[in-house]
Amino acid sequence: MIDYSLKKFVQLLITVLGVVTLVFFTLRFIPGDAASAMAGDAISGEALELLREQMGLNTPLIAQYFSYLRGLVTFDFGVTITTQLPVSDLILRAVPVTLSIAVLTILLTVTLAIPLGTLAALMAHRGQSGLDNAITGTAMVLDLMPSFWTALVFLLIFSLTLGWFPASGSVSFDNPMEYLKRIALPVLVLSVTQVATMARITRTAVLEVLSEDYVRTARAMGWSEMRVLFRHALKNAALPIVTVIGLSFGNLLNGTVIVEFIFTLPGIGNLLINGINSRDYQMVQTLIVFYALLFVIINFATDIVYRALDPRVRF
Amino acid sequence: MTFQTDIDAPLLDVRALRTEFGTDSGTVTAVDGVSFAVHAGERVAIVGESGSGKSAMAMSILRLLAYPGRVTGGAVLLNGRDLSALSERQLSAVRGRLVGTVFQDPMSSLDPVMRISKQMIPPIMRALGLSREVARAEAILWLDKVGIPDAEKRLDAFPFEMSGGMRQRVMIAMALSCRPRLLIADEPTTALDVTIQAQIVEVMKKLTAETGTAMMFITHDLGLVARFADKVAVMYAGRIVEFGPVREIFRTPSHPYTQSLLSTIPSAKALRHQRLAQIPGMPPDMKTPPQGCAFRERCAAAIPRCAQQPPELSPRGAGHVAACWQPEGLTGIVRPECEARVRPGSNRALRDRTMVEINRLTKHFSSPRLLSRKPVPVVKAVNGVTLRVQQGETLGIVGESGCGKSTVARLLLGLEKPTSGEIFTDGLAQMVFQDPSASFNPKMRISAIIEEPLVVKRWGDRAARAARVRHLIAQVGLEEAHLNRYPSQLSGGQRQRVAVARALALDPSVMVADEPTSALDVSVRAQIINLLVDLKEDLGIAFVFISHDLLTVRYIADRIAVMYLGEVVEYGPADEVFDRPAHPYTKALIETVPLPDPVTEATRAPKLLQGELPSPLNLPKGCAFASRCPIVTDRCRAEKPVLRHPMKTREAACHYPHAI
Amino acid sequence: MTQDTTNVPNRAEAPGLAIRAAGGLHRMGQGRFLANRKTRLALVILVPILALTAFAPLLPLQGPLETNLGAMMQPPSLEHPFGTDRMGRDILARTLAGVQISLLVGLSVAVLAMVAGIVLGTLAGFFGGFVDRAVMSIVDIFLAFPSLLLAIGLVAVMGTGVIPVIMAIALADVPRFIRLQRSLVLSLRSRAFIDAARTVDAPQAWLMRRHIVPNTVAPMLVAASIAAANAILVEASLSFLGLGIMPPVPSLGNIIRDGQTYLEQAWWISTLPGLVILAIAISFHFLSDGVREALDPRSRQ
Repeated sequence: MIDYSLKKFVQLLITVLGVVTLVFFTLRFIPGDAASAMAGDAISGEALELLREQMGLNTPLIAQYFSYLRGLVTFDFGVTITTQLPVSDLILRAVPVTLSIAVLTILLTVTLAIPLGTLAALMAHRGQSGLDNAITGTAMVLDLMPSFWTALVFLLIFSLTLGWFPASGSVSFDNPMEYLKRIALPVLVLSVTQVATMARITRTAVLEVLSEDYVRTARAMGWSEMRVLFRHALKNAALPIVTVIGLSFGNLLNGTVIVEFIFTLPGIGNLLINGINSRDYQMVQTLIVFYALLFVIINFATDIVYRALDPRVRF
Repeated sequence: MTFQTDIDAPLLDVRALRTEFGTDSGTVTAVDGVSFAVHAGERVAIVGESGSGKSAMAMSILRLLAYPGRVTGGAVLLNGRDLSALSERQLSAVRGRLVGTVFQDPMSSLDPVMRISKQMIPPIMRALGLSREVARAEAILWLDKVGIPDAEKRLDAFPFEMSGGMRQRVMIAMALSCRPRLLIADEPTTALDVTIQAQIVEVMKKLTAETGTAMMFITHDLGLVARFADKVAVMYAGRIVEFGPVREIFRTPSHPYTQSLLSTIPSAKALRHQRLAQIPGMPPDMKTPPQGCAFRERCAAAIPRCAQQPPELSPRGAGHVAACWQPEGLTGIVRPECEARVRPGSNRALRDRTMVEINRLTKHFSSPRLLSRKPVPVVKAVNGVTLRVQQGETLGIVGESGCGKSTVARLLLGLEKPTSGEIFTDGLAQMVFQDPSASFNPKMRISAIIEEPLVVKRWGDRAARAARVRHLIAQVGLEEAHLNRYPSQLSGGQRQRVAVARALALDPSVMVADEPTSALDVSVRAQIINLLVDLKEDLGIAFVFISHDLLTVRYIADRIAVMYLGEVVEYGPADEVFDRPAHPYTKALIETVPLPDPVTEATRAPKLLQGELPSPLNLPKGCAFASRCPIVTDRCRAEKPVLRHPMKTREAACHYPHAI
Repeated sequence: MTQDTTNVPNRAEAPGLAIRAAGGLHRMGQGRFLANRKTRLALVILVPILALTAFAPLLPLQGPLETNLGAMMQPPSLEHPFGTDRMGRDILARTLAGVQISLLVGLSVAVLAMVAGIVLGTLAGFFGGFVDRAVMSIVDIFLAFPSLLLAIGLVAVMGTGVIPVIMAIALADVPRFIRLQRSLVLSLRSRAFIDAARTVDAPQAWLMRRHIVPNTVAPMLVAASIAAANAILVEASLSFLGLGIMPPVPSLGNIIRDGQTYLEQAWWISTLPGLVILAIAISFHFLSDGVREALDPRSRQ
């Protein structure tokens, strides 16, 4: 187990290095260079040269690469071009917003999706397709709703029409209740897709396990359907579900960018969009790497959890 | 719960049981009005081919069928109580406690993420009302009884830490530990190797006799029936076509299907120069059940009445019933293409030319791992094999799975590169693969499949190739209409014929057949074996026939190589090897094979091979067979015996070839 | 990967197995694809949308870029079935123009990603060794990015517009296709029919062309039609975020973005085009289910 985790961790580091390298060199392929792209037409040659100097663009590419790596390791990502604030400070301030949305969404998703998916699987297994079709069909539609559109529809209904939740406004952790109210709609929007995906995956996983021989063995030993479901089916279905939780975290991160944009929440997704719009490549580069890192770490964690759950690979 | 103990009342009384599967293309009646009885302490075998409904019938008894299977009629009386009228909850009290079940595939029948103890102890506590500690002791006792070494420790193991044979023992212990009155075993040994199969059968026989548990044993293996059962029910197309005491059925079978089935098995006494009897055609498609008797299209005794009205079971002797309009079935009816007949003598003059020569062949598999400090494990799949095959001769290679026989075939065909040693082939070697469903590209028509070797080798022009393909398809007994089909549109037996045609396309001098019949239905096997033997005789090619089925190998092979853990342990003429084995492993293998004759089986007291195949990852220093050998000495453990000539015509790798 | 896997004695008690293993594209010719319920559902949605899009110029609608200051922010009516926006442009006309771009993006991405995936995945899976390691380590790096974020990053570099958007989404999708193709190739590589061809020394190009690739096309098509639906959603998201297709060229994403500001006054601007995206995405999913069920009747569960 330790051996395996170490091996996986080394792989993770290699992937991260690959990610960092890819992002660094891709951004160097921008026509002209980052400085002129950032500056646009508004800046004179002299000022542009100063900007280049400041961004270290006049040193050889390989030296820039290594100084960039050094910066990453020491958590020094440079300063933003627009406000001259350290990028790391901005990210640190934005992370709690994004993470709180993500974590709440995952909690809501798991509590809703696993029972729904299991119910659908049970119905399908018994050949009672009515409820199964209802759950699966709804899940499919919800899964395919573009989240920015869902957000607008929810905004229209729950904020503008019913007035239950604020559509915008300040975000502060000082008042937890206010904060929760502020992020409730974004979390709901994200959960729609997440619940749908997870419910479908749960259904498939449970349905597959239900037709396994060992489930039949348990029934042949005289255990009730419910005991078989909880003791055998869900325990085995947990393995594929855990894997999917890891993978769907990527979709969740995609979704946070969109809801932060729509609900004007000061998370890292908003930082990213603002960074692109203001051509702040220092910011964009750091954030893309940051997202990838988050995703890779979550997948590493689910991989380890999977190993811990499955005795066949644990040894 | 109390039971009336009426001596005559059967323990299990199945009446007109009917089971249907709803599919998209209509309802399939898998079990079509089956009635029979099992008395306390009796062992009843249900025999049938795939699709005969035998498993569906067994699962219907406890309503363990998965959707879309559904019991639609009949009654199942257990001690006089109708199980089909019980609610799911009431039935749960019967399952496990009164009726235990053992399934076919031990690899998937135990929950993979649960320790054995967790799966075994709670049912005992519930069924017998015991405390956890007592139930645990009981579980250990049963594991010990079914022959699991170090039972106390193994109880807390996970299933994946055990071999298939061990898992099946656990399943049996689990089922019997709740003291059921009836044990239903659905092909419990089919997925296991011959030596393990014999051990499992013996365990079940002994323990059910000890506890007085009745048993219903589903199988397609008539040899096992002869060894095991008191009574037999033969199923065909969802119905019981014959039922009776085992000796009665084997001595005077009266349904044509039973009669044909018994005559298709190559028996120990079968003469090698006789063609096997075979049943024409294939089992019916249950989606479109035939009118009248389902067997009539394959039956030489069929009369017009068979097409109009399905025969019901009628008495043939004491407790012996059969469903046929002809009182004696096929008896007295001759149908030449189905009969066993003498083959023209093979041309022995050909045999001075060596077609295959294998010298000191080894093949080691290893998977080097990055980032690992452990030494790389090496599997010695083939470990110094030397063999010859003469022209027109058939070499049979037998052994359990993992003995390296298939690897030898792959090496011979050039599909693997040997680690060391030499292979010489005079001419081209071609192969017939085991699984007829996987050995064809599903996207290619049969014509393209047979033509492929010709195209690759740039043989002839398009017209010549087409003519050759037509010649080949006729040679294997199929029609030209089959050429336009896709593999999925053919039956298993037809596909195996196509495989033979493809292998013959380039006029090979050597044909390798790796378990060519093991994926086929029993009634179709004889057809393929006859085809192979005929072709061998006609074309004079050398044959390598690989199988775990000793009776078939004995029938088909001139010489036999017995393999164990990558080595040939005995090598010689087939009859001699079978009649007077020189290696204790050969002897044990022969003894474990159940013969389709209950009288012989009753007098046989087979000395079963104990234990399991050691891991090929760490072979012992001395004789590889030492861990299971009945006549092992210290010398065997220290010194590895080499293959030598204890008798003039034979080689054996044993220090004591004359001791057995 | 040790020796005798062939020695599992008669496990013939699985009649469905052969059907599952077999089947194939030729089956679709037998009408199973078109007879499939999900296929027909997909076509019921997709055909009218395609027809409306194709014949949009013939409809009694004003042009998608035409403004009509006399009819600003009109709610849905017979004349403007989807209403109008703040410049009096007809939303239905704009939506249909947007659908064209959506379909272009969806199909281009599916084709590009599938072709690249088949080529690279086959090479990696068939040859193994160095090629495999090289391809797969690049794939791993790409898969480390959440897909939309990778696309956002790529358009940030490549700029906005239809071509960059297609390239960005396709590039983000290719690794998944490579992975799928590679796993298909790996499972096919050990099948007995490959061995049979190898016993007559069939060259590797023959094996790939005749045996491997034809057997991967069907599952790749299933994946491609899901990828098309996904690409349409991603393009809409990018355009919504202002990083994809830029106004005045109408795209479903930027129409909805336009409407966001007027959500309270003119709900139809944002909501109705969204329903169209949803309908297209659903129909592509049904299409993929239809293909899969036509190829493998047992997958319906």
